[in-house]
Amino acid sequence: MTTTEEKRDDKPGVHLPADRDMWVFVLGDLVIFSGYFLIFMVYRHKEHQLFLDAQQHLSLTVGVVNTLVLLASSWFVARSVVATRAGEFDRALRLTVLGGLCGVIFLAVKAYEWTMKISQGLTFPSNDFYMFYYLLTGVHLFHVALGLVFLGVVITALRNPQRRQVKTVETGATYWHMVDLLWIVIFALVYVMR
Amino acid sequence: MTAANRVTYVWVILSVITLVSWWLGPGHAHGAPGPSVPITVAVLTLGLVKSRLIIRHFMEVRTAPRWLRIATDVWLIVFWGAVLGIYLY
Repeated sequence: MTTTEEKRDDKPGVHLPADRDMWVFVLGDLVIFSGYFLIFMVYRHKEHQLFLDAQQHLSLTVGVVNTLVLLASSWFVARSVVATRAGEFDRALRLTVLGGLCGVIFLAVKAYEWTMKISQGLTFPSNDFYMFYYLLTGVHLFHVALGLVFLGVVITALRNPQRRQVKTVETGATYWHMVDLLWIVIFALVYVMR
Repeated sequence: MTAANRVTYVWVILSVITLVSWWLGPGHAHGAPGPSVPITVAVLTLGLVKSRLIIRHFMEVRTAPRWLRIATDVWLIVFWGAVLGIYLY
């Protein structure tokens, strides 16, 4: 089985980016998050008007800003992978740092948003919509923080001529893009859909 | 097209779609916000398109082995299909 897969991976133009273990983790995480999202959808279906009313108190602008920030960070990180493959390690390092900075901006905007909601009295027990809002964005925030640790590992590797491996940069990038992907779903389901 | 250019085009498309979602969202010159099937179907379709662009181009599944291309496409169809199904039920 492994041999066959390895043979397939060796086809010209076919390449598994990142560690296989990272992909197992990413696919597993997508399944777990899908469970959270579908449970959210079931509650939303049962309390449609309440969810629509509660959603009005979220700032769509803040959601859009954070989406653009994460997309920009993914753009930097994806270009860092391209630069690493070309042997342009300094450029890859700068791009990864920029990607990480966007991640920090995302955390700051999210902290601002939570502070605003809490000061408006919209907290975890307010209603089911806000319970899901804090739960989904909270679990996602943890993933952003973990993603920053991964980007830190990539930065350390890129700075060390002995540890500069394309696989390491790809693995960090794959995790970071998953964080972006999960936010895209949260943005659509929690902020925009009606 | 170089790999760097491709990533940049994809990023521009993703950002434009996000701005379109902003316009589609609640409270944007649509009067009192209410449920809207056409808007929600559009939002979910754009969500599916964005997810696939990220998976195929940023995560580089486009050139990944077949099992990964199939696994991610199955996830996309099952997940977004289930979200739409629950919404319309």
